[in-house]
Amino acid sequence: MEERTRAYLRGRFGDHYRQASVTPPPAANEREWGFIPWTEGPGETMVRHRSLLDLGEIEDFLGRRKPRHVYFSAGRYDEPSASTMSDKGWRSSDLVFDLDADHLPSVVLGEDSYAEMLAKCKDALLRLLDFLEEDFGFDDLTVVFSGGRGYHVHVRDERIRHLERDARREIVDYVRGIGLEFDELVDEESVAGTAGRSSPAQKRTLSTEGGWSARAHRHMLAVVDDLLAMEEADALDRLQEYDGIGEGKATAALNAARSNYEQLEAGNIDVHPAFYQLAKILLHEVVAADNAPIDEPVTTDTNRLIRLPGSLHGGSGLEVQRIDREDIDAFDPLVDPVPETFRGHDITVEVTDGGLVELDGDSFTLEAGNQTVPEHVGVFLMARGRAEKGKE
Amino acid sequence: MEPLHARYPFLARSREAVEAAAVDLGEIVATDETVTARALERVESAITDGTVGEPHRRTRVELLSYPVARVLVSLVDVHICTRKYAQAEAEAAYDRFTEEFETTTELKSTQRETLDRTELLAEFDLASAVSDAGDGYRVEVGAYLDLAADQRGDSWRLVNRPLADGEVRVTAEELNVLLKQAIRHRVTDGLPFTVPDAIADELTEEVDRLEEVLSELELTREIDTVVPELFPPCMKSLLDQVQKGEHLEHHSRFAIATFLVGIGMTTDEIVDLFQVNPGFGEEATRYQVDHIRGDTSPTEYSTPACSTMQSYGDCVNMDDLCEAISHPMGYYEQKLDDTDEEELVDWREDEGDEEADA
Ligand code: SF4
Repeated sequence: MEERTRAYLRGRFGDHYRQASVTPPPAANEREWGFIPWTEGPGETMVRHRSLLDLGEIEDFLGRRKPRHVYFSAGRYDEPSASTMSDKGWRSSDLVFDLDADHLPSVVLGEDSYAEMLAKCKDALLRLLDFLEEDFGFDDLTVVFSGGRGYHVHVRDERIRHLERDARREIVDYVRGIGLEFDELVDEESVAGTAGRSSPAQKRTLSTEGGWSARAHRHMLAVVDDLLAMEEADALDRLQEYDGIGEGKATAALNAARSNYEQLEAGNIDVHPAFYQLAKILLHEVVAADNAPIDEPVTTDTNRLIRLPGSLHGGSGLEVQRIDREDIDAFDPLVDPVPETFRGHDITVEVTDGGLVELDGDSFTLEAGNQTVPEHVGVFLMARGRAEKGKE
Repeated sequence: MEPLHARYPFLARSREAVEAAAVDLGEIVATDETVTARALERVESAITDGTVGEPHRRTRVELLSYPVARVLVSLVDVHICTRKYAQAEAEAAYDRFTEEFETTTELKSTQRETLDRTELLAEFDLASAVSDAGDGYRVEVGAYLDLAADQRGDSWRLVNRPLADGEVRVTAEELNVLLKQAIRHRVTDGLPFTVPDAIADELTEEVDRLEEVLSELELTREIDTVVPELFPPCMKSLLDQVQKGEHLEHHSRFAIATFLVGIGMTTDEIVDLFQVNPGFGEEATRYQVDHIRGDTSPTEYSTPACSTMQSYGDCVNMDDLCEAISHPMGYYEQKLDDTDEEELVDWREDEGDEEADA
């Protein structure tokens, strides 16, 4: 990045910060703060181990220093500005989740457009929120667009803030469906011998109360409903698409499902060995479909620094934006986070790496060379290193 | 001091009873042989057979031996001793309270005061986190994770539990196991602490005895076990690069080689390990490793300390334990100590098995 580009961006970030209002996180003075300035030369050096006392009032600090990136810690400390973690005196940490398009298995890097990646990320966000709200029962969630390729969710529930790394890893594994064991999900219960059987039998059930077992159960019922709504022959074909299910097992499973539907609804999956086998396969499907592929280290690291909501992302010029729960569905990551400051006028940039840019409801196909574009597009390109500021 | 205090010496009310009796720990260790002997037994049995031994028939001795045992553990100040001790205290309490819970529900005897579940839950601030669910209990997920995160077995993993609205279902037996863990945390809390010299001087014999027991059992595990999962992050990363065939700079290569020598790998084993990497010629590797070992040079080289690793940029992915140590070797020792013997699979044995199978 050329000096004039850096100076321009820094100046415009400053203009933005002078009029923007930024709400700091709760207990801001117990947190460590860090930022990356617009310095010259390769490599970005983070200034960290700062307390709010060192920085001053946050809005004032942003207007004055005009940093490229700003972060605060998930952790709260006795001495947030101490330079080692052991001297800081850890008290607690927010539980933070990071969904990044780069880590999503469904994203094909280099093929999916920025908009497509973000759309997939939002699907994953909704799955994550379902876990956090339904399974974990958290009600104090802050959802944030990261300004780059994803979303952050901050949980500050008092009952989990003290959790250490191992416990947090359990939460990660839960939402990612790692370590899920079918045999563990299934409750086994001995039942008295039913007609025709002399010895007591096992009755294996999926709990419908909650957790992955309830998810597996819902998925199983949905599949059964589909099968029962089909023509018999189609249903059998469909069943035989599953690994290890031949015609015999397909017929047996289908009949068992038809004649024991109420049992299935109640969670009993021991209606027939073939059905039991099918249920096991369906569990794998549900894990693949429902898990939320969050970035593990962000959640387990209790000292992690996270982008400050309300600040600008120095790699895109977009706002790191809090999103109200009810606005998530309608949220458009390529429109809503475009800062007002950069809207409504054009600038000239020297495009070095052209191509498609979709922003603020418009799309531009840019060629290399001098171009006049809306400022937010120019800022986006310069921040990403795809353009330099045009010479005046 | 009541019998209940002696059975559950870690309870807040038991500690209060000790405080109320205004006993001076310094005086006890200087004059009361019975108490120190029982305290020694508590810790010694914890190390040798995972129990705290038979309770003394006198309530006073039994109760006072608990704070003295904690002093001993603090003086010995070896991680594994603290761990074994806390585990044994928790086991003993578990046996007692599970039995008492049953008696309370069946034939309630008024002979002696017993502990019930409600009181124990309240003791650990779990009263509001645990609720009765008819045929079992519901535990708030935060409290559950505190107590279940280091339980062994897939069934404890949160992912395998019906979790709904922030609560985890557990059976009564499982809740007892979680309570045992809470006791273990309570016992471990604050250990080891600094012991005034006056008290320490009275306990040198007991401490010597415990150190002897520890060394006899070789509980402080020999470092020459190769368990890559327990390597410090820096060494994991270097090993990873070696195995991916990436080029390593001299200092990095030196660091990983000294580390592997330090944990007892032979030159042949290291050469084998590095062989996958075309950047490491066999001869050169063999020479370097022998050199480090001191076979071909007058000096025996040791693994660089964290500060050196840091200045060369070889320190990566630092974790919590890194904050507490200053040497990669210290990291590894601590990890080995923290892991149960049965769980350790020496890499070389593991590989051997695979070969045997093939
Ligand atoms: S702190 Fe020490 S042990 Fe940990 S990664 Fe760095 S060099 Fe290795």
